[in-house]
Amino acid sequence: MEVLTITDFLNYFTNNSEQIFDYTLEHIQLVGLAIIISILIGVPLGIYLTTNDELASTVLQITSIIMTIPSIALFGIMIPILSIIGQGIGFLPALIALILYSQLPIIRNTYTGIKDVDPNIRDAAQGIGMTTVQRLWKVEIPNAMPLIMAGVRTATILNIGIGAIAAYIGAGGLGSLINQGISRSNNTMVLVGAIVVSILAIIADLVLKYIQKKFTPKGG
Amino acid sequence: MNRNKLISLIVKIIFWVGLIVFFSWAFSNDMFLPIFEEPGAFFNLLGEHLILVLISGSLAILTSIPLGIFLTRPRFRKVEFFAVNIANLGQTIPSLAILALVMGFMGIGMEAALVALFAYSVLPILQNTIAGINSVDEDKKDAARGMGLTNTQILWRIELPNAAYSIIAGVRTALVMNIGTAALAYLIGGGGFGVWIFTGIQLFDNAYLISGAVPVSMLAIAVDYLFRGMQFVLVPKGLRLARQAVS
Amino acid sequence: MIQFNDVSKIYNGSVKAVDNVSFDVQDGEFVILVGPSGCGKTTLLRMVNQLEDITDGEIILNGKSLKELNKIEMRRKIGYVIQSNGLFPNMSIEKNVMIVPDLLGWDRKKRQDRFNHLMELIGLHPDEFRKRYPHELSGGQQQRIGVARALAADPPVMLMDEPFGALDPIIRNRLQEEFLQIQKEVNKTILFVSHDIDEAVKMGDKIALLRDGQIMQYDRPAEILNHPKNDFVSEFVGQDRVLKSTSLYSVKDLEQTVGLSPHDDSARIKTIKENTSLRIILSMLLNQEADHLVVEDSHGNKKGSLTLDHIEKFLQVEVREKNDGVSLQHE
Repeated sequence: MEVLTITDFLNYFTNNSEQIFDYTLEHIQLVGLAIIISILIGVPLGIYLTTNDELASTVLQITSIIMTIPSIALFGIMIPILSIIGQGIGFLPALIALILYSQLPIIRNTYTGIKDVDPNIRDAAQGIGMTTVQRLWKVEIPNAMPLIMAGVRTATILNIGIGAIAAYIGAGGLGSLINQGISRSNNTMVLVGAIVVSILAIIADLVLKYIQKKFTPKGG
Repeated sequence: MNRNKLISLIVKIIFWVGLIVFFSWAFSNDMFLPIFEEPGAFFNLLGEHLILVLISGSLAILTSIPLGIFLTRPRFRKVEFFAVNIANLGQTIPSLAILALVMGFMGIGMEAALVALFAYSVLPILQNTIAGINSVDEDKKDAARGMGLTNTQILWRIELPNAAYSIIAGVRTALVMNIGTAALAYLIGGGGFGVWIFTGIQLFDNAYLISGAVPVSMLAIAVDYLFRGMQFVLVPKGLRLARQAVS
Repeated sequence: MIQFNDVSKIYNGSVKAVDNVSFDVQDGEFVILVGPSGCGKTTLLRMVNQLEDITDGEIILNGKSLKELNKIEMRRKIGYVIQSNGLFPNMSIEKNVMIVPDLLGWDRKKRQDRFNHLMELIGLHPDEFRKRYPHELSGGQQQRIGVARALAADPPVMLMDEPFGALDPIIRNRLQEEFLQIQKEVNKTILFVSHDIDEAVKMGDKIALLRDGQIMQYDRPAEILNHPKNDFVSEFVGQDRVLKSTSLYSVKDLEQTVGLSPHDDSARIKTIKENTSLRIILSMLLNQEADHLVVEDSHGNKKGSLTLDHIEKFLQVEVREKNDGVSLQHE
């Protein structure tokens, strides 16, 4: 394989910008949808777990086992299972896998964030006559927000990476560039794919860090 | 038994039943057949996978722990700041992208796979080594210095034992991720269980998929538990007590 | 003996943390460095075991300038106790206490004997604590272990940086008493940093009161309380300084200065020992527990009686006369 120069890279980039843009959009759609669904599942579950320590340790154990399973292996296991309903390859298995991987960081951080709220603050909230629901919305969730956002960030970065691998099971996205580049021995295409997906991950990390900071109470 | 325990038990039962259903379904559909029909090939892949992980993993451990120790010495405080930030940033780069980048420069083969896996494993260990050493209380180090411990003695007797938990956690994370990423090494000609998984995907052959995916998952989970055990054995008892008291 | 000769510490080329300090600490003397935060007391202490470099001047330890000594070796001969105890969480209590002897290469038997001895000295059972870890101990116990660790290699000099500062008042008080008992037995040369004048008065043979890196007064506690050299000292020790000073005198001191009255059985009386502190006597009299207190010596012989008038007269002599320049103590 030939050595890539900056000029090759830029040429490829300008010649294929439309395709790269489409792949990026696909990637963002896949990851974005997975994260939204994961938040809708993980945050309420994490909150509920604060009322049941027994269940919390069970759920955290199960999600951490899922997290340990290599992503390509999880795809490998899901394809035969989902083929039963004719969805073995494509968007759906990728989405399910991403949602599964997001559960540990989101549930764990929500659970820890709410558990860690200073008992004195909780007492004070009770003392001024807040109901359990009010306390949750006005005190506990705002206090846990930075940690929840940190969990969302971890999950997003993880999903961008796994989303790239999902191209191999036909889910599209930036992984397709790497996939096609390798099979066509097109080194430039491989590197462009790798660099764009890395940049996407880094930008997501920075943006979510910024949002996380916004949610952190001043003086905290 | 109260309601909370009951719910937890039900969830556990669902999990285990799900696993049993999966395995019996897989067995009854001959999904593990490749392992029994081609045991030679299976052990070959296992061997390749282990070699990839062991070589790149041990090189990563041998590089990043000393590097972490080095960077936390007072002289290198300024460099440490950059190292920590680079380690943070580097870890956001997807594993496939690292493989692709390395392949772009080194071409295809086992060596390229080893370099990529090594690069991917260095950062978590480095980050945890630095964090672990920096978490040692300044007061403790001051007391040690005041009593006449040399810097080397402070490192071996105070800093490293206190950082052990964090360092081993870093090694655990790195190795588990390494096992997963090694399954992608097939893409750049590195061998390992990825061979069967990707063959399965390309040929729509569920038996190869399962026979590659299940063993590699079990390998990752086993290594994870092994290191959790090591955390228990290698971390000084006094620190475990301290952790319990905090949590 | 520790001699400070024109010692200065300057940070960043201009900030004077310690400013031209000179004083001597005799062998076996218990000296408290006291002052408001930022007065340089801790810096001064840390210069003795060279955790801080000396910018100017020199510190002489048993006739040798610190500069001539090997840092590591000299530190092992100086006990060091800090406020947050600095026990190592990864080591058992025995390992913590015996770390310096271990570094010095003592054999097992000698280390074990020493550990048992030290634990008895600080009032903890050796076998009960040997295998335990710092985290399992209460704050007071941890601080006792910190003291034992500093004493481990039997160093002639001890440096203590607010060792009891983080403890609650009751425990602190108890540890102060215990440590005074220990000091009677071990007779170390001690430099002790405190921000609490009451602690300083209670513990020290001498007090060095610092402000902005300079020594304001270096004297016996009674002198500091009764004859403050300047406004800063008198403000720092407090308006109630004369009252505080009563804890430094016993009935015997009063007896020697102003004498007792012949005792009178008719009035409401109570018997007290000759070594009772004047502070307690004062309190008993103000409590109306008795009008007269009958003083007994250690053999139970009645020596005479005293009333509030005696205390007043005694304090007048102690405070006023010496203020007129008849000070016995002059450094």
